[in-house]
Amino acid sequence: MGKEECKTMLDALNKVTACYRHLVIALGSTSDSQNLREELKRTRKKAQELAVANRTKLTALLKDKTISKEDRSEYERLWVLFSSSMELLEVDMKRSLELGQNFPLKVPTRHLIQTGMTGSTTTVAARAISVQNIKYEADSNIDTVDLGDLQAEISQVSQMMEEMEMKVQVAPWAVEAKQEAGAELKSSMSVGNSSVGVISICEEEPKEHESGGSRDAGFASICAVVIFFVIVTVAVVLGYLVINMS
Amino acid sequence: MTINPLAKGSWHREQMLGFRKMEKVIVAMQDPDMGMKMRNQRLLITVIPHAMTGVFRLVWFLTEGLHLGAMLVRYGYIYPLKEPRSLVLQADESPYRFQTPYFWTSTRWPASELDYAIYLAKKNIRKQGELMEYEKERYNVLHKRINHTWDFVVMQAREQLRASKQRRKADRIVLECQEQAYWLVNRPPVRLLVLCYKTVLSCVIETCRRALGRNRVKSSICLEGFVKYSEQYQMHDPIMQGCLPSNPWISDDTAHWTMNAEIVPAPTRLRVERWSFSFMELLSDVMGRREFMTYLEKEFSEENLRFWEACEDIRHGESSKITEKVEEVYKNFLAPGAAHWVNIDSKTMDKTLEGIKHPHRFVMDDAQMHIYFLMKKDSYPRYIKSDLYKNMLAKAIVPQETKKRLNSHFPSPAQAVTQATKEDRRVKQAGQTGTNTAGGSHV
Repeated sequence: MGKEECKTMLDALNKVTACYRHLVIALGSTSDSQNLREELKRTRKKAQELAVANRTKLTALLKDKTISKEDRSEYERLWVLFSSSMELLEVDMKRSLELGQNFPLKVPTRHLIQTGMTGSTTTVAARAISVQNIKYEADSNIDTVDLGDLQAEISQVSQMMEEMEMKVQVAPWAVEAKQEAGAELKSSMSVGNSSVGVISICEEEPKEHESGGSRDAGFASICAVVIFFVIVTVAVVLGYLVINMS
Repeated sequence: MTINPLAKGSWHREQMLGFRKMEKVIVAMQDPDMGMKMRNQRLLITVIPHAMTGVFRLVWFLTEGLHLGAMLVRYGYIYPLKEPRSLVLQADESPYRFQTPYFWTSTRWPASELDYAIYLAKKNIRKQGELMEYEKERYNVLHKRINHTWDFVVMQAREQLRASKQRRKADRIVLECQEQAYWLVNRPPVRLLVLCYKTVLSCVIETCRRALGRNRVKSSICLEGFVKYSEQYQMHDPIMQGCLPSNPWISDDTAHWTMNAEIVPAPTRLRVERWSFSFMELLSDVMGRREFMTYLEKEFSEENLRFWEACEDIRHGESSKITEKVEEVYKNFLAPGAAHWVNIDSKTMDKTLEGIKHPHRFVMDDAQMHIYFLMKKDSYPRYIKSDLYKNMLAKAIVPQETKKRLNSHFPSPAQAVTQATKEDRRVKQAGQTGTNTAGGSHV
């Protein structure tokens, strides 16, 4: 059914947009490298393909006058999702162009900002283009060559968005979202574990506010204290026995 | 901060220059020879590199003061690790870290509401709903405001978290810190917000107050005036009415300009009619002014017009001659018992005499205005009704419209050139036939 197809394609586009943003954030920092530029290029290509496919499908569905009212409102909702995704993608592409120009890689003295990120972004890119392992096959001057392609692609995307707005008559503000506030908390995946076990050093919680971060910290320290005391008592008992025996 | 768009544009440009400068300093600080002490930050089991200390000292050394250093932290180019919410450059050895270029403050990519909503949703998921009070408020406000894309916000938040799970723990922590620092700069918590609001609001109140004090004319009234003006001047407009004798740009005949020169023996009728429209029209036309002077001489009040002319001369004349001109005007027109004493009321006279002690270009303005209005209310209407003016009007000529000659029609220079070549050819042919006939007759 058209709706299900659309939804899967939109989910894929959403995933690629998120990964692309993640990769662009790493530009100019210490995790920037040839590989990152190549990953950006391939993620972009994938995003373009998905965008074109989505657009064709959605335009066809919305132009159809015989659909029911609920169907139409659902398609309009999907359309709003699609256009928001494209907006984010366009902004990220423009920013990656600017950052790519400001931080060239093939210069004698590279001045990459020491942000503290040292790992590679391979896994993120692999997730974006849905492969297990990425093989890097680009030439060494990808950072300059790619910028020309990037400019062309940015203008393509802007053109596509303009066409979209002209051809499809959807009022984005009239669409009602299905999710209510706080819907993300009801998700089945436990993403909250990313900071558990680590003291949340990023947060300085004000003293009146006992939040999850310090709760985790308290829990960890209580565990440590308990274990310490157990070991100390065991040592004391053993020592007592040894003294008694001798 | 004014509403004036030009001023706002230049403020933006100054801001951009400031940001460029800060970016240069940041890139310069990456140089290993700079002497920035890089330590590792230890958090239980995770180790994160690139925590710097001694930023205060280095910035003081690099730049001409600490202003730039404070700006670096305030605009988020460097963020503190110990107390993330206090965006000041501490003088001690507290650690800082550089912000990734994507999150640098820039006027080209301002922080958008959609991004902020995604960030709050991510934080909500990570903290299982334990957001700070101001963040909760903003979350609810955003939920109402961009409700139509809320599905996208939730989807994107989940995906971004899944993407970040693919990285090492150390990098994940750095990412969280970076994002948090970025949003602390761009969406500061309430305390700072109140201060910002106060300054913004006071500027807005000032502008509104000034706007209220301005003079306003209802558009119905000023449009009526405009319509009257257009009706009055329609007959005098060469584009609307056509100009007599003919438009010099089209017919190459300069009669129109010669007839309307500054001084002519006989002015055109339209010109004389215009003198009756307003006093300023009369005064700005040289001939009109002369006629008016003749009339005033008859009435023995020509000193008013002479005084006005002298004041105009001071206002528009050379700066070096102002003092002597003012002296002369005083001697001739204002001194008690002067030869051409003008009648000005006592208050204006006192003010002018005070001003004469320190003469400048506009010292005579009040007196001049007084005399101008005197003439306008008194002498001018009488002049328009007088015989002198009526005779002038009767004597004025109405130029004849030149009839279009049949073959001397030159609408464009190209055709004029072709006409000229045609003429030459005709002349040559005539010459040839002439010689032929001459030759023929000779024979």
